[in-house]
Amino acid sequence: MKQRLYIELENCIGCRSCLAACTQCGGHEERNRNYVYDVNPFVNRQTMPLMCLHCVNPACARSCPAQAIQIHETGAVLSALVEKCIGCQNCTIACPYGIPKFDTEQNLMYKCDLCIDRTKDGIPPMCASVCPTNTLQWLTEEEIEMKQKQFNLDNGKWTASMKLEGETNVRVNLPGILQGVTKLF
Amino acid sequence: MNHQTVIPGKKEQTINQAFASNFAKSMFLAILGLFILTFIGTRMFTHIDLNLYGYMVGTIVFIGGFFYRFIAWGERPPTKILIKKGMKLLFKKSTPATTVNHLVTYKFIWNRGIYRWLQHVLMGGGTILSCFVTFPLVFGWMYFTMDDNGMYNIIMIGVNVLTVPADGIIANLSYNALNITATMVILGVCMALYRRLKNNQARAEQKFMYDFLPLYLLLFVSITGLVLTFMNVVLHGFGHSVMSLIHQYSVIITLIYLPFGKLAHIPFRPLSIFAKNYREHYSQQSMKECKVCGESFVSVEQSNDVIDVLSINQIDFKQDEGFHLAELCLPCRRKYRIAQFSGAPTHQLKVKEANQNAKG
Repeated sequence: MKQRLYIELENCIGCRSCLAACTQCGGHEERNRNYVYDVNPFVNRQTMPLMCLHCVNPACARSCPAQAIQIHETGAVLSALVEKCIGCQNCTIACPYGIPKFDTEQNLMYKCDLCIDRTKDGIPPMCASVCPTNTLQWLTEEEIEMKQKQFNLDNGKWTASMKLEGETNVRVNLPGILQGVTKLF
Repeated sequence: MNHQTVIPGKKEQTINQAFASNFAKSMFLAILGLFILTFIGTRMFTHIDLNLYGYMVGTIVFIGGFFYRFIAWGERPPTKILIKKGMKLLFKKSTPATTVNHLVTYKFIWNRGIYRWLQHVLMGGGTILSCFVTFPLVFGWMYFTMDDNGMYNIIMIGVNVLTVPADGIIANLSYNALNITATMVILGVCMALYRRLKNNQARAEQKFMYDFLPLYLLLFVSITGLVLTFMNVVLHGFGHSVMSLIHQYSVIITLIYLPFGKLAHIPFRPLSIFAKNYREHYSQQSMKECKVCGESFVSVEQSNDVIDVLSINQIDFKQDEGFHLAELCLPCRRKYRIAQFSGAPTHQLKVKEANQNAKG
């Protein structure tokens, strides 16, 4: 069954469990590939995670001269193939979200691969497995549809996808903020 | 019906720039080059080792596959730009140092892990040395003669470059060159196979055709090669003719596979020197300042090239604020996205990026 990473941005409490979990994924070599940001640090304590959204037409792969960024059959945009990456860093410039990281010593780009060793077998990625506030979830299409119904907005904006650059495999949602209400847990 | 679509701003393509024309031209020049070198090397075809003619045919088939793969690859917009600019910067002062660093000592692989570095030195070194021995022998650029006085001559491109005692160290090294390289390759392949069985990331992503087949092919070539030596030395030549054909097939299949699978990274790899030169040269020329924070983060040239490549792919990240996303430094681009999600001006706030490294 096809499952997707689903992000409910405003649930984030900034615990950075997702960063810590990312480091522990097989093959991530103890380096995390995701980010957590303070949204408006002088005003409130809201944080939001940011990770690769796995574009359907990924700019990183399009700009790679070496075809080092492959797209897995599940739709995950994989980290650079170590034997092909030539270290030009085009992908870091092309990515609309600033996700790929570059290791100068190893002359190698690395990015979120949606924990492909897990997700290819239907196991949620590390970040979604550990997230204590359900900011990051691993859901089927039906479950995402139910979320859509649950957070149905009169302005038709249930996802933040109109703010994204093109279609993504990851679904991003922000019901509270768009509705102008604060969610209580 | 008009099939031609005119893309504005794009130069009209002539038939000379077509894939087939490039392919035919490259093939013609390569085979002509081989022919001329062989003509000279074999002293007008008087020293051809016809035992090796299968490899000659195999090489020509390989060149066909090689140009097919690489011309197609070079047509990709980002590759095309990198090759064009890389060629211009080829004679940069730092090129020799970068070449040694990337293609001889594999410093970047060392930094990725010593195990993988050793595996590369064994496999890469073994294969490249074997090629340096095999191809000159196939095309007659190198051959050996034995004098009556027990001296052994190594002849390169028709010139006698070295005369050594036939039972000396150098002569023995040259008789056993391929045995030594085969042993190196077998050790390297075993290391690689072991890693593929144990490493989680490798196990998740590996495919038989892409990751295992090249290792098995190299193993097949090396073992059949060593078996040939064994048959000569221990079995006094028993079965040599059959094994020689098996070995020849194994090499030819590997050559045909090379441009299309994982091994293609060997001829690809020199592009990393182009990339390094490209980044160094244009960074010295002028740096792009982030449209939000003003920090220099990449060369102007590369930022523009990426924007061009994306627009060829019909991707445009031009924002309402008037900048293209490729004009923002990475932290600003991430904060800009958070700002898009929340409506708060995260990217405008002068505040240090909070802990992003999961280190407590």
